[in-house]
Formats: sequence, structure tokens, C-alpha cells
Amino acid sequence: MSSTQSIDPVTVEIIRNGLLATTEEMKANLMRTAYNLIIYEALDFTVGVFTADGDTVSIGLGLPMFIRGMSETVKAKLRHFGRENIHPGDILVTNDAYITGSHLNHFTFTQPIFQGGELIAFTCCMAHWQDVGGTMGGRTTDIYSEGLQVPILKYRKQGMVNQDLVDIIAMNVRLPERALGDLRAQITALATGERRFLELVERYGRAAVLQSIAAIMDQSAALAASNTRNIPDGVYEAESFMDDDGIELGEPVPIHVRVEVRGEEITIDLSNVAGQVRGFYNSGITTGIACAQVAFKCLTTPTDYPVNEGAFRNLRVVMPTGRIISAERPAPMRWWMTFPMTVIDTIFKAMEKAIPDRVIAGHHADLCVGTIHGINPGDRRFFIGFTGPLGGGWGAKRGEDGVSATVCINDGDTHNGPTEQLEVKYPILVERFALRPDSGGGGTWRGGLGVETVIRALSPMTVDTYVDRVHCKPWGLDAGKEGAGNDVRIRRKDQWLDTATNGKATSVRLQPGDGFMMRSGGGGGFGDPLLRPVTQVAEDIAEGYVSASAAAAVYGVVLDAEGRVDEVATAHLRAAAKA
Amino acid sequence: MQTPLTHEADGVGRSTGAVQRPRRLRIAVDIGGTFTDLAAFDEATGQLLFGKALSTHDALVRGIQDTVERAGVAFADAQLFLHGSTIVINTLLERTGARTALLITEGFRDVYEIGRVNRPDAYNLFFNKHAPLVKRSLCFEVPERLRADGGVHRPLDEAKVRRLAQELASRGVEAVAVLLLHSYRNPRHEARVREILREELPGLFVSVSHDLSQEYREFERASTVAANAYVGPLVADYLARLEQHVAQQGFVGAFYVVQSTGGLFPVQHARRDCVRMLESGPAAGVIGAQAICAELDLPDAIAFDMGGTTAKAGVIVDSVPLTTGSALIGGYERALPVQVPMMDIFEVGTGGGSIARLSEGNALRVGPKSAGSTPGPACYGRGGTEPTVTDANLLLGRLDPDHFLGGAMRLDLTAARSAMQERVAAPLELDPVAAADGILRIAVVAMSHAVKAVTTERGLDAGRFTMVTYGGAGPMHASAIAREIGIRRVLIPFAPGHFSAYGMLFSDLRYDYVRSCFRKLADVDFAEVEAMYREMAAEGREAITQSAIKPGAVLEARAADMRYVGQEHAVTVELPTALFAAQDRTAIKQRFDALHEVRYGTCAPAEPAELVSLRSTSTGLMRKPPGRTTEHGRGEPDTAALRGRRQVYFRATGFAETPIYLRAALRAGDSIAGPALIEEHASTTVLAPGDTLRVDRFGNLDIAIGSDQA
Repeated sequence: MSSTQSIDPVTVEIIRNGLLATTEEMKANLMRTAYNLIIYEALDFTVGVFTADGDTVSIGLGLPMFIRGMSETVKAKLRHFGRENIHPGDILVTNDAYITGSHLNHFTFTQPIFQGGELIAFTCCMAHWQDVGGTMGGRTTDIYSEGLQVPILKYRKQGMVNQDLVDIIAMNVRLPERALGDLRAQITALATGERRFLELVERYGRAAVLQSIAAIMDQSAALAASNTRNIPDGVYEAESFMDDDGIELGEPVPIHVRVEVRGEEITIDLSNVAGQVRGFYNSGITTGIACAQVAFKCLTTPTDYPVNEGAFRNLRVVMPTGRIISAERPAPMRWWMTFPMTVIDTIFKAMEKAIPDRVIAGHHADLCVGTIHGINPGDRRFFIGFTGPLGGGWGAKRGEDGVSATVCINDGDTHNGPTEQLEVKYPILVERFALRPDSGGGGTWRGGLGVETVIRALSPMTVDTYVDRVHCKPWGLDAGKEGAGNDVRIRRKDQWLDTATNGKATSVRLQPGDGFMMRSGGGGGFGDPLLRPVTQVAEDIAEGYVSASAAAAVYGVVLDAEGRVDEVATAHLRAAAKA
Repeated sequence: MQTPLTHEADGVGRSTGAVQRPRRLRIAVDIGGTFTDLAAFDEATGQLLFGKALSTHDALVRGIQDTVERAGVAFADAQLFLHGSTIVINTLLERTGARTALLITEGFRDVYEIGRVNRPDAYNLFFNKHAPLVKRSLCFEVPERLRADGGVHRPLDEAKVRRLAQELASRGVEAVAVLLLHSYRNPRHEARVREILREELPGLFVSVSHDLSQEYREFERASTVAANAYVGPLVADYLARLEQHVAQQGFVGAFYVVQSTGGLFPVQHARRDCVRMLESGPAAGVIGAQAICAELDLPDAIAFDMGGTTAKAGVIVDSVPLTTGSALIGGYERALPVQVPMMDIFEVGTGGGSIARLSEGNALRVGPKSAGSTPGPACYGRGGTEPTVTDANLLLGRLDPDHFLGGAMRLDLTAARSAMQERVAAPLELDPVAAADGILRIAVVAMSHAVKAVTTERGLDAGRFTMVTYGGAGPMHASAIAREIGIRRVLIPFAPGHFSAYGMLFSDLRYDYVRSCFRKLADVDFAEVEAMYREMAAEGREAITQSAIKPGAVLEARAADMRYVGQEHAVTVELPTALFAAQDRTAIKQRFDALHEVRYGTCAPAEPAELVSLRSTSTGLMRKPPGRTTEHGRGEPDTAALRGRRQVYFRATGFAETPIYLRAALRAGDSIAGPALIEEHASTTVLAPGDTLRVDRFGNLDIAIGSDQA
């Protein structure tokens, strides 16, 4: 699409509003008609409008990490069929993990939009199905154990639904009525997108709409370029690690990133993240590229919408295949979302030297969900449920404390499941749901607090947790301290066990009265904690975010018997700590 | 669907035994952000009276008295006083409420602070989440626990509650909110905590969650009850002072407050459930639109209100405004939810004061930042340097610099032009008129999204709706918005600038109840459901019959939130009582399937459905003012109505000489062809080329929108 033709800025802005409204309405219709909590509350989906070449025009989130997966999936479908073999009334589908870059749960439907017989755009909808077959919980070591794989196919051919495919799906998933309910919701979203996009085209003319889309991309590119120019040229690197891959427990998985800034262009080189692993934490190359794009967007065009291709014009990504975030068949991918978050955090860590005012210290970087399954004693039916996402601590920034109890960077407008809802749906009792005092890393600006929950089983059930970042704790920046790591414990009656000290409790059977605890980490601090104003430390103590003992040990702040700041003792302690 | 439950004597007013003078007035006062508006109806003469004064946020009662006096009416002559105010929303947004504590189930102290853990501003590392109204140090845990079925898992530790009461007193707490898990299912623990607090701390403002909401979701209920407690002392005190004031003025009638549903409740209930008056003004506007549509026999309408900073749209379907179960206070990213029934109103940040600005890459954006009243639009001459929607209207000739607010304020055309030139036109290489026109186009599209949000996005065909337009800035943009959406008919009511107060005169007494009830439709026990509905209806009827005024009739309407088994989100389905009497599962299911099809374009008749919540609305019908009629004219405006002509810009014609009419001089039956402007005190109606306007017998401007020439 040419971006050289001129189009008036008023029309561009009107079309921009129209595209945003289109994807927002697709999103709303998907959420309101979906059958599973992961779509409706966790917003594990993405909808979008794409050019006839598959480039992103507008994405409605959903899942911020899926910034890349949709466009790549549309392009793969285009390549597979060839433009000439895509017809009005078709709907294309796949859940191929190596195309979407994520796991098999992400069924992705794409509908071509035609006007006057010509293909002018696509609408696309990815959504997470609760079950796609495969091993129930536990560990997987290849893609075949993770469920049904649907290659690129036509779900609908010129208006005729492919019933063979529907029957195959229905036989291969554990909750077929839910899966097909979600499928219907996705088709609804596609129809909404098609209708609204055609309305824009009919009202303003195809040329005006297409030229406006090009202009919107140019605007995003200009914004990204101007926010890159003010980053000092140079090469910036950082390292971190994942605790393990869920199979080789306790064997760290190293991550190294390299960012090169030269004028208006940034190159993010992810060649030196670890090679793909045996365990189920791999993701495909589109996710590797998404890691770079998400970090880049956060640093250059964080509030520019719609998300579109223009924003990444001056980003180069070096991403060889065969890495944890560019894995190849038959690498297992079921828990694809965990490692990429730490890759993104590591990019921010690298950029601290260049742009300390724009980066953020490490965050808990994990969904912190527990998945449970069993037979519900109420209706004697099989259930699969999940608790969380817990939300956790976010890193501090120069000038701002970190935010507490908020979903990790993989997730966006993702809501947790309210206790009152979980207890109606599943045979569990939530005993505790609270902030974790002292979990936020110390700093001139303190890291946000993590969350702790304790869940008791009311009937026999199996729990899995695939939590990482227990040992690689959310780091501080600029002399800020690290936050607490994530943590999982299992309880047999009243006895807490150490069976899941690495965050991974796989296929643990619980009897009534048993339970499990999940704790999310706190955010890293920013700047020297001894420089945090004493009044703010006192306030943190009063509100219970920081204990008196941590205040003394980390911040050098001492309270007297009445709970007031002891100025003399504080000055003394701070001076001693600095020495 | 409404079914009369009782019929009582159709009599308004009550006997006081000591009536000195005929109490013939109904006075409605709406305190808005900028203005306090009054509408009064004189039963003796059939006359409608209006008043307007600047809101005095530091002295609200005085502001009301000023407005009353300015309108030439007196409380002593009134038998009914209806009131709505922004005091609740302002107290929440400005954080000026009481020092509030939250008592919550043990183990769940941080529910309110943690919230739903979502992060809408997904790529912004400098995101923020909601800031609770209660500090963590004032959140206290109560040892008790109910199970999801309402059974007691752990009994309430009453001694601990008494000790907590002492702690609250020592901490200088002014209001207490109580949220116990599963109280929507079993309110006994919450009720007992309230009793103990009342014994221990008489006079303290205590609010318990099940009074306001009996729907599951603990964070939303916590936020609702905290908001109520937070505003409670201030609002209760304000309402008490207002009661005292009107009594001193000789008022002996009934005093009702408008709720966010547009329904009325007595002031003594408003003092307890303060948060229900959150959106009283906007809701009353929709009630006004409903009243006008009833007179004209229009079942389907959009109620569109545009002011200085926002535009709001509500919708009336089959003569009933759509309501919703909750609202978010503040911007979405940091919103505090309030889970009480509300008029379903969609708001966008576009108003007369919205600023037009270029962002990086020369993208032209209009709003949501508003110039407000200080500094205001550039043309106000109070130091504003950025062009706004109002400046654009001035440059295009739609506002008269010498007759703004009836000439009370002069507008500075030069300032508007230079702001437009420097900030927008020159950088985009446009001339100022093209820039102004572009800004209005963008603003109109943004506002059209609000209208679409309540119509097309709900499966309703906006094109067959009439758009009733009010608010100071609404009539100026109504024609353009209607064209954008394909709406063919626009009504500008009499006194569009006083419309919320006017709407209050048409409100009914109303009580809404919701109970969570998770049951599969296929095997639901109708006796159980019937008992829940009857209990809610009985509560509503009792509340209404206890009020000072005997309503004409009490109606009960039933609805249920339903979904397909396994789905998360529910839709509210109106269900006639007869379906329950007949235990007609099939008909209930069909209604749900049909609504799902309309709203989302799909339904699954073969899939089982379930109930989530039962909703009951009790309405006590009030006597309404009869339609206000306007004197009949000769079919075309009097020469006295033509104030003059000036150059006004329309996209189809460019600048063209356009007649300016005075609304006050128009008569019923008068007809005007666009282009034209119709001016009144606080508003100007723009009639585009191709539009035709007819003044109806009630004085509304009834506009047939011409074909789109954009």
C-alpha cells in the first residue's frame, strides 16, 4: 500500500476513530458471547483488521503479547491458499502453534473482506479455548501431547461450514460445547469486523480508507522515530535467566539481549537467548519478534492507538530459529507465555543505561495461575478451572513507585476471577487473598507488592501450577533492591509441604481440606533505598506495605515505641549503612 | 413489561391539616457541573417556569434558593420538590468525602485495593491503577465466613466486631462500609455487624453492601459500599440542611431525590443510599426525552446530551429507557465501579470545550482534554490559546460573538481565528475555515460513536430512531450527527438547556432490586424464583406506599440476567409475570435466544440457558404535568422572529447568507427550511441545507434531516 498519496488529516482522523471503534466492537461482541472465563475475564484473545497483504491495521487487545501473532497468521493463510483461492464467504482457521507462535489453545479465525469482488482486507480473531485435548495437566515434552493440531484450513467455504472439521474438533476436546460456543463467539466477532469495515469503506470510499490507513501507519512511524532519536546511540546489553524448563528442574535457562541504537533505528538482537528446551515453555518465532515489538512499543509509542505496523518500521529484530522464543516443531509450547515476559523485562534492564527515565525495574513476570480439574460434586460433571491470575508487583520507575497487584506484561485488561464467582463454579474455598507486605523491592522508589492466596479443595481435585521466576527475582535498577520472587506451596491437611518450591506443582492430587498457596513476586525497586524520604517509609509502615523490621534493614528508618520516626536513630542507621 | 399490582386513589399531595395557601407547584432543581437549573410546573395555571443560575459548589443550598427566587417561585407554594445533584460524583472525583473504614471478611483485607488486577493501558509502563477511597490502614478484617450457598462456614465473631468498633472510634473514623463475602446470598452477617456498630457507635454512618447490591463480585460490591460510605456523611448532611431550609421556606410537601435510574426515592432513603443519586441529572434528561416521546407517540428514541466537556447518549426502546447494572467512576484505567442500577448512558469526551490538537506525525485529535470554563475556549478571551469546538463553531458563523448567552458574554473572533491558525491550520497547511470544519467533522464522528454505542452496537437500527437532543451544545451539532448515523428525525425540546430539571417533573417513584440466583433454566424451581420475585416486589411496594405521596398505581416489572450454560456474560431479559405463573420455560428461553440474536447477531436455541440474577423494579406512578402547548402560528415564522442574517459556513455550500430566528418568537406549525440558525438563551440550533424544521404543538423543533451532502 502506498503511503505517498496525500489524504486530508481530517479524514485520516475520522478513519482512525472508525477503525478503533471497529476493533473495540469486535472485542466487545467476542467477550459478551464467549463461553469461557479465559476469554471473558482473562481477555486471552485478540481481534484485528488487516490489510489485504496481512499487515496490521488495528488490533483490539486482548492480549498485548499477541501483537505479532495475528498478522503472521493472516500472512501464513494468504501464502497457503494464494490470494486467488480466497473467496467471499470463506473463513480460514488454524491453531498451528508454530504459525501463531503460541500454544494450541489459540484457535485463530480469519475472514476475508471483499468489496466489488475484490479482496480489500481481513478481519481476524484469536481466542483461547479452555481445552484442546492432549495430556490433562502434568508435563508435556512435545507438541503431540498438547492436543489437537488444526493446520490451515477453511472452516467455511463460500458460506458452507466444513462440518467434518467441526466433528473432528468436537471429538478431540474435553468440553466440546464450550469450544464450539467460543467458536461461534469468534465468528460473531469476525462478522462485526467485516460489517463495520465495509461501512467505513462505503461511507468514505475505498481509496480514502486505504490511504488513511497508510497515513495512520506513517503517523505511528513518525512518533516512534522521534522517540528513538532522543535515545543515545550505543550498544546496550543485559542478562537474566528462567529458573528451569519444568522438566530439568533447577537447571537455569539463560537469557541475554543486545540492543543497538543508531539514530532513528533500533536493532534488538535476541540471538543469545537459550536454545529451545525440552519442557513446555517454548514459543514460536512470531513470539520472539513480539518480545522485541512489545518492548519497543512500551519505550517509543506506548499510548499510540490503534496498534499498527507503522509503529515498528524503524525496529530491526535479529531472531534466529531454534531458541526458546523461536522454537521449531516438535517443541512443546503449552506454557508459551512465561519466558517471553522475562525477555521483555531484560530489554528494559538493558536500556536503563540509555534512558533511565523511561524504563522500569523487573516485575513478577508470571501469570501466577493455578489450574484445577476434577469432578464437581454438585452436578457430577468434569470441570477445568483456573484460579488467578493473581496479579503481582511491578517494578518501580525513576520518579514513581511500582504498582502492586497487577497482571504481568503478557496480559493487559485481564481480570482475575472474583472469589465469589470461583466458589460458585468450583468446589473450592478461598481462605486468603491479600497483599504480601515487604515483597516490593526497596528503592528510592519502592517496587509494587505481590499477592498471596490460599485455596482449599472441598472435593478431590488435581492442581497444576507452572510458575517460574521463583529464583530469578524481579531485579532493581540503579541501586534499587530486588523484589520477592513468585512462590507455590502445597498443603496436606494442616501441613505445608515443599513439593513445589520451584513454582511447579504438576498433577498434584488434593483431597478435601488440602490446599495450595500461590504468591506472586513484588516489583524491583529503583534507586538507593537509603534515599527514600523518611516520611514515605513511615507511611509505608503505617499502611502495612513495609514492616518495621524491613524499614530498618532496607531503608535505615527506625520507629520509636509510639510508631513515630526516630530521627536520631534513623540518621545514625542511614549513615552507618552508607559507610 | 409492567403489570399493575395495586390501584390506589389517583391523588397527589397529602393532607396537612394546616394548609395556609394552595400548594400548586412542583419544583424540580438539578445541580449540574456549571449551572443549577430549575423547572417548575404550576398545576393551577398549567404553566411551566424555568430558572438558571451558576452552581455554587461551596454553598449548594444557597444556590438552590437563588435559582428558585430567580425563577419567581417559592417553596411555600409547592407540594412537591424533586432534586438531583452532582454532589455524589463530585465528592468521589474530588476526593472530598469522609474518613472511611472498611470492614471485610477475614483473609480478604486487600480486596478493595487489589481490585481486578487488570492493566488496560497495556503498553504504558507508567500506568496506574484505581486509588481506593479507603486507606489500607483503615481496612479491618472481621472473623466470619459464608459459603457460596449462603451456609455458615465460620460464625461471626461478635465480640471482635465490638472491639473493632472501639478501634474505629479511636481512629476518628467518620463512616464505615461493610463487605462480607457471599452477603448477596445471605445478608445476616452483614446485618448483624451493622446492628453491633449502631449499638457501639450510635450516629456513625454505616453502609452494608447488600443494601446496595445483591449481586456476586466482591470487589465491585466493596467499591460500591465504600463509595456510599465515603460520600454518606457529606450527602446526608447536605440533604438534611436542604430539608431544613425548604421547611424554613414554608415547604410542607414531599421531597424526593432522583436516582441514577431516573426514578425517584424519598429524601430519607437518599440519605442512606446516597450513591444511588450518582447520575441523577443525566438520567433525568433521558426521562424528559421519554416524556416528550410519549406525547408524540414515539416508541424508540435516542436521548442525546452535549455539554462543555462530554456528550452522552441514552436510548429508549419500546417507550422504556434501557438501564444497566453498574457504572465506572473516573477514567476506565483507574475506575471505581459502582454496582447499582443506572440509566444506560454512553459518554464520550467531546463537548464544546474540547481542545483540538496536533499529535506527533501531525495527527489531528479533538478532545478528550477540555478547556473547561477556565481558561475556556480561545474565544472566551480568558487566556485560552488552544482552539476548541466552540472556537470552530464561532469561525464558521454558527455562534454570534455579540449574542452569546443572550449577549451576556462577548466572544473574541480574532482570538479564535489566531488560535486556529497557529495551532492547527498552519501546521496542516489548511486555511482556518477548513481547519474549523475539520475539527467539527471529527467531533461529530466521535459523538456519533456514543450514539452507535447505545444503538447499533446493541443490534438496534439507529436509522429508525428519533434523536432528542439537548444540553447547551447539543442542538448545534444534532443535524450533523444525525447525518453521520443515518438518523432521519431530530427533536430539539423546549428549553434544551434546562432539560434535566424538566425531565424530573416526569419521574416516577422507583425501587430496583437484584438478587444473584444461579440456576439452570431446565430444572429451576419456579416456586423458589417466584418467592424471590415476590419478596423483592413486596419490599418495593412497601417502600412506595410508605412514601408521602400516594402514587396512582404500583407496577412491578421482572427481568432476569441470563446466559447459555458455560457462558460468562449475561444479558438482561425482560420477562412478563405471566411467564412465571405458567412456568413457561420454553417461552423464557425463546425470549433469551431472541434477545441474544438481536444483541450479538447469534443465538444457540439448542444450547441450555441459565439464570444468573433476578431483577425486580417497582414503580409508583406519579401524576405528570400535561403536555405544554404552544400558540399556533401561521405556518411560517413572524417577521419578528427573524433576527437577521449572517454568513454561516456549511460544507455543501461554503459560507452562505443564512437567516437567524429567535426561538421564543416561533409558533406551533411554523416551518423553516435549512440553512438557518434558531437562537435561544443558552443554545443555538443549526439547521443544515436540506433540513426542514417544523415547530410542533408542544413547542419542540421537529427536524426532518435532509440527505447527506457531506
